[in-house]
Amino acid sequence: MNIVIAGAGAVGTHLAKLLSKERLNVVLIDSDETKLSKAGAELDIMTYNSSPNSIKALKYTNVDKADLFIAVTPFESVNITCCMLAHQLGAKKTVARIDNYEYMSAANYGVFVNNTVGISSLIYPEMLAGKEIADSCQYTWVRQWWEFNNGELVLLSVKMHQGADIIGKKLKDVATSSGRKFHVVAIKRDGETISPHGDEMIKDNDLVFFMVLRDDIDFIKVLTGKDNDSYPNVRDVMIIGGSKLAVRASWAFPKTVNIKIIEPDEERCNRISELVREGTMVMCGDSHDITLLEDEGFDHIDALIALTENDDENILACVSARRRGIRRTIAQVENMDYLEMAEDLDVGTIINKKTIAASHIYRMLMKADVDSVKMLNVADAEVAEFTVKAKSKVTGKQIKDIGLPKGVNLGGMMRNGESMLINGLTELQEGDRIVAFCVENTLKKLEKYFR
Amino acid sequence: MINWRVISKTSGMLLIVEVLLLLASMGSALFYHEDVMPFVWAILACAAVGGAGIYYGRHESRMVGRKDSYIIVSAIWILFSVLGMIPYLVAQTFHDVAGAFFETMSGFTSTGATALPNIDDQPHSILFWRSLTQWIGGIGIIFFTVAFLPAVGQSEVKIFAAESTGPIHNKIQPRISVTARWIASIYIMLTISCAGLLYLLGMSLFDAINFSLTTTATGGFAPHSAMLHELYDSPAIEYVITFFMFASGTNFTLLYWAIFKGQFSKIFQDHEFRCYLAICFGAIIVATTIMYLHPHTPFNLELSFREAAFTVVSLQTTTGYASCDYMLWPSMVHPVLLIVMLAGSCSGSTSGGMKCIRLSIINRILRNEFIHILHPRAILPLKINGTIIPQSVRQTLLAFLSLFGVFCVTGTLALSFCGLNLEEAMSIAISTLSNVGPALGRFGPTQCWDIISPTGKYVCSFLMLIGRLEIFPVVIIFTRSFWMKN
Repeated sequence: MNIVIAGAGAVGTHLAKLLSKERLNVVLIDSDETKLSKAGAELDIMTYNSSPNSIKALKYTNVDKADLFIAVTPFESVNITCCMLAHQLGAKKTVARIDNYEYMSAANYGVFVNNTVGISSLIYPEMLAGKEIADSCQYTWVRQWWEFNNGELVLLSVKMHQGADIIGKKLKDVATSSGRKFHVVAIKRDGETISPHGDEMIKDNDLVFFMVLRDDIDFIKVLTGKDNDSYPNVRDVMIIGGSKLAVRASWAFPKTVNIKIIEPDEERCNRISELVREGTMVMCGDSHDITLLEDEGFDHIDALIALTENDDENILACVSARRRGIRRTIAQVENMDYLEMAEDLDVGTIINKKTIAASHIYRMLMKADVDSVKMLNVADAEVAEFTVKAKSKVTGKQIKDIGLPKGVNLGGMMRNGESMLINGLTELQEGDRIVAFCVENTLKKLEKYFR
Repeated sequence: MINWRVISKTSGMLLIVEVLLLLASMGSALFYHEDVMPFVWAILACAAVGGAGIYYGRHESRMVGRKDSYIIVSAIWILFSVLGMIPYLVAQTFHDVAGAFFETMSGFTSTGATALPNIDDQPHSILFWRSLTQWIGGIGIIFFTVAFLPAVGQSEVKIFAAESTGPIHNKIQPRISVTARWIASIYIMLTISCAGLLYLLGMSLFDAINFSLTTTATGGFAPHSAMLHELYDSPAIEYVITFFMFASGTNFTLLYWAIFKGQFSKIFQDHEFRCYLAICFGAIIVATTIMYLHPHTPFNLELSFREAAFTVVSLQTTTGYASCDYMLWPSMVHPVLLIVMLAGSCSGSTSGGMKCIRLSIINRILRNEFIHILHPRAILPLKINGTIIPQSVRQTLLAFLSLFGVFCVTGTLALSFCGLNLEEAMSIAISTLSNVGPALGRFGPTQCWDIISPTGKYVCSFLMLIGRLEIFPVVIIFTRSFWMKN
């Protein structure tokens, strides 16, 4: 599979890294030689130093044979132009990163995404990340949260603390005693993600991934010992740093949530005060100014979201907020090397625009009718949706007889619009949509089963 | 530097409009077999002044400058009034020049206060001329010219901006003459439909035309001395006039979206319109309640509502009609009436007053101010209809309000020196500055303003002029820096 990526920025290089690991042919184009040489030295990819808008460059990189052309330079118009060029030159699919929420709205999406312009998909990382922030705030006791089938089926991760009922019990015992209302698809323990079987025991400090039906979420809350006053619904949110992501997040929250954004730069404050959703309050001040924060009700907020450009500051803000008793903290961490460390520091939820954008693009690569691949940035894992086809290997078989590869865990599925959990005795039928949890790059292997 | 030649040339060309209006009135004089001489003299005077102006500036090809545009706007309104009073002088409608000037100025500024004691005795043509001055003044002399006459020059934009009302201007078309034509066609549609309805409801043709000209102009000159209630005892006519006054008080840009683009929802989403509606309905409810519940009133509920609605809409849109004498109402209604007079209706309409958009902005500023006290570091943008109101507009608003206040007070003072009592002086100052028409006391809707001294009439005329042009374009001419070379 041939992939051309225009723009060797953060998203571009991260994507190149992921794709080259999958043994795909990746060409990276950028006009900045230094960025390219760094990426070229580390990764098994081809680099080409030129403006992505150059037709000569596009021809040289064989864009006509490309299955996917991805434009992720920092400039929206460059991205759109080179996607149009790539389409004209014969690229099968094109993806452009944009910087304008207007283009993403349902009414305007078709302006660019059509056969004439030739863009297959637009991505707006800030918007995706903003949605993720708002989603994860809805359930404060949950670390991460993904919805399937219009939210009927939910995958969530919960950090275990002492006192939870579930700790020290074998999974199969818990499952039987609770009437199989959930499915543990993965456990992250000591920096390693494991795909558990029935004899696995949950320990203190584990991050456990549950697949559960929406109606049974409260059951998980009880099971994991989170059913106390420490986890109220989010009503007041404070965002530190007036980045673009902060603006997008303000739009993604439900209207009942009060949002305050703290940003030190006055000019930036004026600018974002015009962009945020009505009712969001923009404060001009330093987030280190504790008096200001206290005046604005720092001790009464339900969630702190740190979205400054500076990772260290975000991590510090969240750590200190947790010390002060704020249960819900979200930090934007853009430096990939920090992700692991941030996890150890008990920062709360971590938002990384790059992985969000990359996972979104990754979806386009999946051949086996996958339409949602989400990569979890705390675990070396991927979550994917598959559709069971008439003649695939798995059709008509029970899960226990398929012989799935190690590291794969099928959590739940949608059959005729109805959501259900999967266990060993479930028989797969044509048309079922399966949510799979894959640890350690097993996604490609699993794909073969559904082809 | 001020370029007198271009000013005289442009003003001369604008006078062509007045010639056309006078010709129309002369036509009515011929139709009713009345004396045409008043109009002949006026037309000759207009043509002479206009011709001289154009001749003086014939070789001038430079553009109208910023300063020139302010002089043109003020000069043309005064010139129109001076030349426009000639028919009254020749026909000896008034016994002094001040009265005639006052009447013309009251016409062109669409104020509607009249110094004419015996309206019913006047010839039709004079009354028609009176209504026509209001109709032109309502939409604006320059606006009308830009819309219907070939280009006055490439500098339309500047003089146009100096005349249009409200703190924020938005065009509906890229070219100003096209914009003006659309707006003017709405105006004409309103006028024609109003006249048609009134005629169908039993008015005489002459009355229907005159009433509709002054209703859509939100002017308020009536072709009879008697109250509408006494003239035609018809609730339908009163409701129709109420409706058209209200429509003419709406921003014509909104009417454009609704009528030509079918976007009715846009009207109700508009902050200014909502404010207009809220003030209007609030005042109607208060007035109806007071009138209905007050002991010793002869009003039943429908009558209370109808009279209250008519009067409130009439005063808020600064029309100034009266279906009955509100001076006879319980006196606690009067402050409500003064408030709606001050508030005015929407910018971009034919009405005067402070305009609801300004009140809307003030409302937001106050709300932001209270939030600001609790959250001193908060950055609070001022949004109207989803767009940010820049700081400069807020400053201009403050300046406008201050000047409005200053002229209310000095106007009251000046009129008190002319021998009026406080209530009358104050209400007249507000009424003329807002281009409403009727005031309180001896200057209520039934009265004629003949009793004011000539000086008082000139004071009123000046207040009407600055009220119509929203103060700045006129007052700027009286500042020292305006006349400085740099």
